[in-house]
Amino acid sequence: MATDFWVSSHNTRWNVDRAALRQARAEDIHYVDHPEHLDFLALFFAGLIARLGKKLSLRQRVIATATVFFRRFYLKNSYCDTDPFIVIAACCYVAAKAEESPVHIKNVVSEARGLFSKYGIKTFPSDNSKLAEMEFYLVDDLECDLTVFHPYRTLMTLCWKEGSDSISDAEAGELGAGIDNGQRYWGTGEGRLEMHEGALQMAWFIINDTYRSELCLIYPPHLIAVTAIYMACAIHQETRGDVEKQSQLPHAFGGAQGGMGTTRRSSRTTTSPLKRAQPQDIVGFLAGLNVNMALVATIAQEIVALYALWDRWKEDGTVDSARASLKRSASGAIMGATPMGNSPIGTPATGDHGHGDQHPEIVTPAFLIQLLWRMREARLADLSAHPTPGRPVVVNKMLERAQAAG
Amino acid sequence: MHEEWSSNILLNDPMRMYRAKRDAARRRVTDKYTIQGFISSGTYGRVYKAQSKESDGRIHAIKKFKPDKEGDVVTYTGISQSAIREIALNREISHENVVALKEVILEDKSIYMVFEYAEHDFLQVIHHHSQSRTAVPMPVLKSLTYQLLNGLLYLHDAHIIHRDLKPANILITAGGVVKIGDLGLARLTYQPLQPLFMGDKVVVTIWYRAPELLLGAKHYNKAVDVWAVGCVMAELVSLRPIFKGEEAKLDAKKNVPFQKDQMLKIIEVLGTPDERDWVGLKDLPEYQSLKRLDAYRNRLGEWCQSRINSKEGFELLRQLFAYDPDNRLTAKEGLQHKWFQEEPKPTLNAFASLATTQGYPQRRITHDDAPSMIPLPTANSQAQQLAAQAQAAHLSQQLSTHPQSGKAGSAGAASFASLSGGAAGVGSGHARKKTRLG
Ligand SMILES: Nc1ncnc2c1ncn2[C@@H]1O[C@H](COP(=O)(O)OP(=O)(O)OP(=O)(O)O)[C@@H](O)[C@H]1O
Ligand SMILES: [Mg+2]
Repeated sequence: MATDFWVSSHNTRWNVDRAALRQARAEDIHYVDHPEHLDFLALFFAGLIARLGKKLSLRQRVIATATVFFRRFYLKNSYCDTDPFIVIAACCYVAAKAEESPVHIKNVVSEARGLFSKYGIKTFPSDNSKLAEMEFYLVDDLECDLTVFHPYRTLMTLCWKEGSDSISDAEAGELGAGIDNGQRYWGTGEGRLEMHEGALQMAWFIINDTYRSELCLIYPPHLIAVTAIYMACAIHQETRGDVEKQSQLPHAFGGAQGGMGTTRRSSRTTTSPLKRAQPQDIVGFLAGLNVNMALVATIAQEIVALYALWDRWKEDGTVDSARASLKRSASGAIMGATPMGNSPIGTPATGDHGHGDQHPEIVTPAFLIQLLWRMREARLADLSAHPTPGRPVVVNKMLERAQAAG
Repeated sequence: MHEEWSSNILLNDPMRMYRAKRDAARRRVTDKYTIQGFISSGTYGRVYKAQSKESDGRIHAIKKFKPDKEGDVVTYTGISQSAIREIALNREISHENVVALKEVILEDKSIYMVFEYAEHDFLQVIHHHSQSRTAVPMPVLKSLTYQLLNGLLYLHDAHIIHRDLKPANILITAGGVVKIGDLGLARLTYQPLQPLFMGDKVVVTIWYRAPELLLGAKHYNKAVDVWAVGCVMAELVSLRPIFKGEEAKLDAKKNVPFQKDQMLKIIEVLGTPDERDWVGLKDLPEYQSLKRLDAYRNRLGEWCQSRINSKEGFELLRQLFAYDPDNRLTAKEGLQHKWFQEEPKPTLNAFASLATTQGYPQRRITHDDAPSMIPLPTANSQAQQLAAQAQAAHLSQQLSTHPQSGKAGSAGAASFASLSGGAAGVGSGHARKKTRLG
């Protein structure tokens, strides 16, 4: 059934493990100096999709779908073999149709050209048929699986309150009424979690943020939603008061939303003391859900790792840099330009993504675009040197690098 | 040296290598299937009968979406919303009474959807009986209606509204199993980002269109499909559309006019709707237009008397035709209706009761088409081809005098149109054709 996650193409064909992700980057990894640059690319591309989506007035769910399409495409293809920018545009174009809110192809082309040119990318074709051609190949690579599930649905199934104003009207429109299959996920069918507006909103933004990583390929959306709720509750001050949070989670995700200037303001307004008669047992509620809490903890760690990476990401030279400079001047420090800027402790407690210690440099779009160009050139050179691409190239590359290092 | 060469590629056509790789890996339609002939031309493309080259040699129906043309050159203009919809939904669903999508092949700017083959459809059954002046036998009628509701229940449970149920879109396999087809207008209603009326202004071929749609309701639901089931069941009973109105055309601004004649055809049988049984009637945009029509009383009972020999059959029809969408039966309630519990009971093979000699004729296929789909005829198949064309000509002639000519007539017309290079020529504005916007 089209709305039953368990039998969906999403669940049966597109949930992959870490090994598959590594395999997907097997070629790319030989063209970068450090594996984490690939994570930065993943972050960067998702940011571009969100930007293009905003310019096209796509709803959050459409942007999320476009991002999932992009990730799935690069499960089967390498960055170094393709032009991610036209793939991004095609993902937005198809996602809008798949979510029944189509945009005209020529708008996509002109907005994409405008956006990418700000990053110095001049190769985006002006011809509509080029984007349409990419759409065709994209749909083929997606194996025509165009129905995607997102954590937003679970979030609202669990937490939606009638008349809640923390989620803007436009976003609420995405959620619609008649949410009725929460029970499928939980089996308990017991009530809803009452969250503070601010916490609910924060969970929403954490979900948005997860698309900057590849989490959407690895974990089912309902687990990501539960994690977001869990983290939002742990972070959100007032909620924390209710729960007497003892969490080992990092102290604050004040900037968890990423990419939206208004959110900090609104989450602040909602922290006004709003005493409730009987605080609901949030921990109990989450524990009572029929989900694997160990997995939830793992996902939380991954999100924390994403924020650590994001911390070192600096947008520049784009129209949206206003936000960055605003924050820079506010905090007076370069760290202020990053999502973790408000966090008292900048480094989250994960040992996992340890590269951060060795490579504490700040990464920018300009760096990544150059990197991408070099990757593609090197790849082409390798391909023309070895008519049959594949392992030999790979081995040589590794050798070269090892020699250079030694 | 390579540098320059590679930057050129990267600048001019950065996806060239990717496409080359993909194209090389792709298996072509004609590698996998032998096209046996052309079945029909619809709004969005052409349907072919094809045999798999796999060892099972299974028969399929391949729907080829029209590629877009700029002048004579086929080019990419973007996949239509309808194709995206049909593909996206079909990839997620699976049910005995919904036609199964086997695969989708994207090749040479065209999209091919490969479906399981269904030898018959409701329209053909209706034709067959109207030509032989016989009634659809009760066990067949009941089984077809039951299985149709069963497929519809599945779709509705999956939050899919079909929005285009009509005899031509409801297929039946040789084994008598109903397969709902053509999800080209179907919509997922689960948490839509846009209200349903925003996308396609007009849904459902006019004869099968529910009164709330005719009266301009902006919010409609699954009940529109149930109304269409009522129309289809009545048509199986009487062998002609029960509400056969004339479609009023869109005006110059593509506004949808009030479908006065269609509404009239409905109230002539079901009587003028009463505000007391239809909450919300007064608020519908075309309420005033409705009030200007002459008043009629309900004579569905009389209509049924001469046609369905069953009180419960009449009851089912009456409840499928409830004016208020909220009072109309749901697919589930329909399945539980008493009519299906009394003898003869519906059967898994709708044709189980028929003697082998009584079966329905096979689907007609023709052999003319663009050379890309069908290998050029050899000497002896040319005779076949001529015969088929003669048959098609005969058919379309016959049908042009027959009230139910829309679908099959257009097949005949299209097969000739294609001789002169145009696959599109069907739009005679026939009532069975719906207008699709957006
Ligand atoms: N699986 C199938 N097996 C046999 N015949 C089929 C099959 N699918 C479709 N057909 C035939 O092709 C016709 C057109 O198919 P379909 O309704 O899917 O296309 P369409 O372009 O949406 O047509 P329309 O707009 O006229 O409804 C059907 O009415 C039927 O006669
Ligand atoms: Mg059809």
